[in-house]
Amino acid sequence: MSVAVSPLVPAQPEGSFAAGFAWAFARDLKLAMRHPGETLLAVAFFVLVASLFPLGIGAEPQLLQRIGPGVIWVCALLAAFLSLPAMFAADYTDGSLEQMTLSPHPMGGWVGGKIAAHWFASGLPLTVLSPLLGLQYGLDGATLAALAAALLVGTPVLSLLGAACTALTLGARGGGMLLALLALPLFVPVLVFGAGAAEAQASGLSAAPHLSILGAGLIVAGMAVPPAVCAAVRIAMD
Amino acid sequence: MKIAWFYFASPPTFYRLAGWLAPWFFALAAILGAAGLYIGLFVAPTDAQQGEVYRIIFVHVPASWMSMFIYFVMACYGAVSLTFNTRLAAMMARALAPTGAMFTFVALWTGSFWGRPTWGTYWVWDARITSELVLLFLYFGFIALANAFEDPRRGDRAAALLALIGIVNLPIIYFSVVWWNTLHQGSSVKFTGTTMQVQMLWAMLLVALSFWMYSIGASLTRVRAIILEREGRTHWARALAA
Amino acid sequence: MKPHEFYIWMSYGMTALAIVVEIVALRVRRARSLRRIEEERDLEAQD
Repeated sequence: MSVAVSPLVPAQPEGSFAAGFAWAFARDLKLAMRHPGETLLAVAFFVLVASLFPLGIGAEPQLLQRIGPGVIWVCALLAAFLSLPAMFAADYTDGSLEQMTLSPHPMGGWVGGKIAAHWFASGLPLTVLSPLLGLQYGLDGATLAALAAALLVGTPVLSLLGAACTALTLGARGGGMLLALLALPLFVPVLVFGAGAAEAQASGLSAAPHLSILGAGLIVAGMAVPPAVCAAVRIAMD
Repeated sequence: MKIAWFYFASPPTFYRLAGWLAPWFFALAAILGAAGLYIGLFVAPTDAQQGEVYRIIFVHVPASWMSMFIYFVMACYGAVSLTFNTRLAAMMARALAPTGAMFTFVALWTGSFWGRPTWGTYWVWDARITSELVLLFLYFGFIALANAFEDPRRGDRAAALLALIGIVNLPIIYFSVVWWNTLHQGSSVKFTGTTMQVQMLWAMLLVALSFWMYSIGASLTRVRAIILEREGRTHWARALAA
Repeated sequence: MKPHEFYIWMSYGMTALAIVVEIVALRVRRARSLRRIEEERDLEAQD
């Protein structure tokens, strides 16, 4: 029977992907709920900035309807970006990340769990709130549905890509700016297709092609990005 | 027969090789460039639809090709550096990045000044131009990330990984004109043949080759400086500075 | 002809400028790295 050397390393001698995933997911969610200020920050930012635009541009209904999907998507993207450092930073600075790399569970498992927890605490609330914000912009029901669907599929991709960039910049000088330079260009395709889905619906076309590409992107990112994040974490551990 | 695969992976050995090779590539670049520009500016006829302004193609298309090709080579060097854990491959990747960024900027700039008289606008957010802009930011991100760490080896590895992640952008740039309705025309030059007038094609290919030779010369020169910066405390480097 | 010349000049001019800037930057970088090696060597020779 192996003895756990740290409370962070699970006691089971055999590691498994699912166990690692579940463990990291539960842990990160628990931590997020213990610091509601940080987690709600992303949501608050999303709502605030999305409300700023009508104030700044003027509340002309047609204009708001036109820019609504794009603005909401940009706010969601920025809110997701703001909450990225929290994924690894605290664990990196206090050494828990290094402990986790010693875990018997395959690295892909607990890394995936962390990314899923990040999405659950930031992307999912944004998706749920987006219809309310869409109503502020006067978007109709079908557009709201397309917007929410696009965010549902797209925000996990943002979490995945953002995780890769965050892991790459662990311990780097330049902090948030560097992360922005790396992450925001990679976010661009997601933004283009995500906002495009809602805008297509708003102009009467089908949102299906955009949602399909987002879905394909999610599948590819879901398979290809966690190994990249693992590699980046290993690089950071040297 | 035993091949010493890693013979040139030693920085001082490669330093000498690069120093010997670089001038030849610059010379080739000058000759090919002069030939290409001569044909493009003086021999190739006026275009039926665009008049004289189409001649921007002779720098715009080669620069775009180079912007993508250099990124690909840079990512390959990144992959080699991660796989074999060699220093020099990572240094070559770092040496390529600024040249790649330069060509990406030139492609965007010349495209912008070609778009104004032909499409009526300096900028449009179509798929190809947007992904080319993303490519420019990928280059900047690569350079910034590589230089963001105290330990240069850590920067090497992180930037190499970033280059590999960003490689997905290249097919997007290349196929964007096929996948979307854009202002950009489709590819006129394919492996199966071309619809371009032959003198225009020759000018474009010659300038493209010239840019390629120039890129090799520039990155060989730059990697020599990088080698000196990184290996500056060694005997052979100190002997050089004498 | 006249307006088109502007666009052609701006395009070819910027291309040439970018290449010249890069070559100058390469020379500066090389000179700087050689100078730094000299300085470090002289500093250590003093020890």
